[in-house]
Amino acid sequence: MEDLRIDSIKRKQKIKFSVDGQELEAFKGETVLAALIASGVKILKTNPVSQEPRGAFCGMGICFECTMTIDGVPNTRACMTEVHEGMIVETNDKK
Amino acid sequence: MIKNNSKYNIIIVGSGFSGITAAEILADHNLSILLIDENIHFGGQLLRKIPEELGEYPAYKPEKIKRAGFNFVDKVKNKKITLMNKTILLGVYENNEILIEYNREQTFSLKYDVLLFATGARERFLPFKGWTLPGVYSTGMLQVLIKSSGVLPARKILLAGSGLFLFAAAYEFLKNGGELLGIMEQSPFWNKIKFFPQIFHQFSKFAEGGKYLSRITFSRVPVKYRRHVIEARGEKSLEEVVVGKLDTNGALIKGTEKTYRTDALVIGYGFVPNIEAPQLAGCALEYDREKGGWIVSVTDRMETSVEGILAAGEITGVGGAQKSLTEGKIAAYTILEKLGVEDEEKLLPLFKKLTKERKHHLSFVQCFNSLYGIKPKTILEIPDETIICRCENIDMKCIKNAYQAAKSCCDPNSLKVATRCAMGQCQGRICGPVIYDLLHVLCDKSPEEIGLFSVRPPLKPVTLKALENLRDS
Repeated sequence: MEDLRIDSIKRKQKIKFSVDGQELEAFKGETVLAALIASGVKILKTNPVSQEPRGAFCGMGICFECTMTIDGVPNTRACMTEVHEGMIVETNDKK
Repeated sequence: MIKNNSKYNIIIVGSGFSGITAAEILADHNLSILLIDENIHFGGQLLRKIPEELGEYPAYKPEKIKRAGFNFVDKVKNKKITLMNKTILLGVYENNEILIEYNREQTFSLKYDVLLFATGARERFLPFKGWTLPGVYSTGMLQVLIKSSGVLPARKILLAGSGLFLFAAAYEFLKNGGELLGIMEQSPFWNKIKFFPQIFHQFSKFAEGGKYLSRITFSRVPVKYRRHVIEARGEKSLEEVVVGKLDTNGALIKGTEKTYRTDALVIGYGFVPNIEAPQLAGCALEYDREKGGWIVSVTDRMETSVEGILAAGEITGVGGAQKSLTEGKIAAYTILEKLGVEDEEKLLPLFKKLTKERKHHLSFVQCFNSLYGIKPKTILEIPDETIICRCENIDMKCIKNAYQAAKSCCDPNSLKVATRCAMGQCQGRICGPVIYDLLHVLCDKSPEEIGLFSVRPPLKPVTLKALENLRDS
């Protein structure tokens, strides 16, 4: 999978976190959403009404399309949360 | 950590340009001040940069106004102010009381002498078929991803929508090595030209626009005007986008459809002030299309209709950084006068100067808003199967049916009860402005006659765990 991180930034600390049981790499200081997008994860939930796939939309805490269970707390917005070493993320993608 | 039931002289909600400017001025007067912000970092939507712990970004050179803003953020951090990030305002109550939630863990009930709302603006959208597909992002998300985390939403994107911000997003994306398939602007090119005299009036804005346009021109990105996104298609995520041309009334011209293969479409149609918290507090609102729609009514001194509550920045009219900065200053001096720290006579010349400055910035607001107006015809032509409320999956047909069944129901709250639109997690923040525009066109009534969705606490979803500590109080 292609990495979508901008090359010209000198990043500091690499970390590992897990998404739906799969281990992914990220950098300290990134949001969970940025770390997911950078690794090509864009289907984040199944809409509970239509059962259709959904992804992040507004990126700034308004639309609640990127809510997922983060370290056991449900309905947490990935765009408003910093990723950290050992973080356990469970998306609401049911498919 | 703060204590439950504490009292502050001043509580500021939002740390964008106006909030941070006010905090910086107020900090030197031995007052107890609490500044809360929902985001991880202080500075709001404009003052974003790669966080220190993430890395270094030598290519980032903020312009003068942003340097001033970042300077305020740094200064405030070293002053006698209680700063709370990741903090949401849940409710505003009688007797100068508010309820906030910190980090999804804990809630606090607090008291204030003066409350300053500086809650900023969010993006406005125009729904089209398939806008809920993963891979359709807002221009705000593109900016936030790049500026706060150093990540592109995709290597190649198509940009569509309306407004100056579309070009700002294009500039940021190109500068960071992205490839743009094209910019599809909803409004005609003519709209831009008729505002040229005003753009000259504010030279820094003109220079900014020029910077965006030259980067876009040199990278040979096709820029098309009067283009409308008809549909975003894909099985599980975005695969292609169909764009068509609009006539002068905003109706689609048949046979002009063009399909772009892309897995990322970035859209933005201007801004909507975040007026939910002031609305809950009972502050009088007014409708002004040129200022971004529903805004908080304020005096020249930034006072709302509610005693002890002030408002500054985008919520009094979307007008950019300079307007917000000036309003933050005015709000701060009004508060100092109210609390008896400075006397009016001493402040008068300052108010005079700042009021003049504010008038100047206000003369520019229509460039941010009405310039890129979406035509009523375009809203009426939204196809039946288009989702309007993303959370509850309510489509245009459902809304039109409810409107007709209730014999032309023009009240957003009745529509909400009939369809479940605006009842989801975002609480109508995304679909609300669309529904107001839709009812305005369908009913042929003024926005004031149509009114707004009612708001109640909690203003944003809160966990029961976070509310637990209030059980005994």
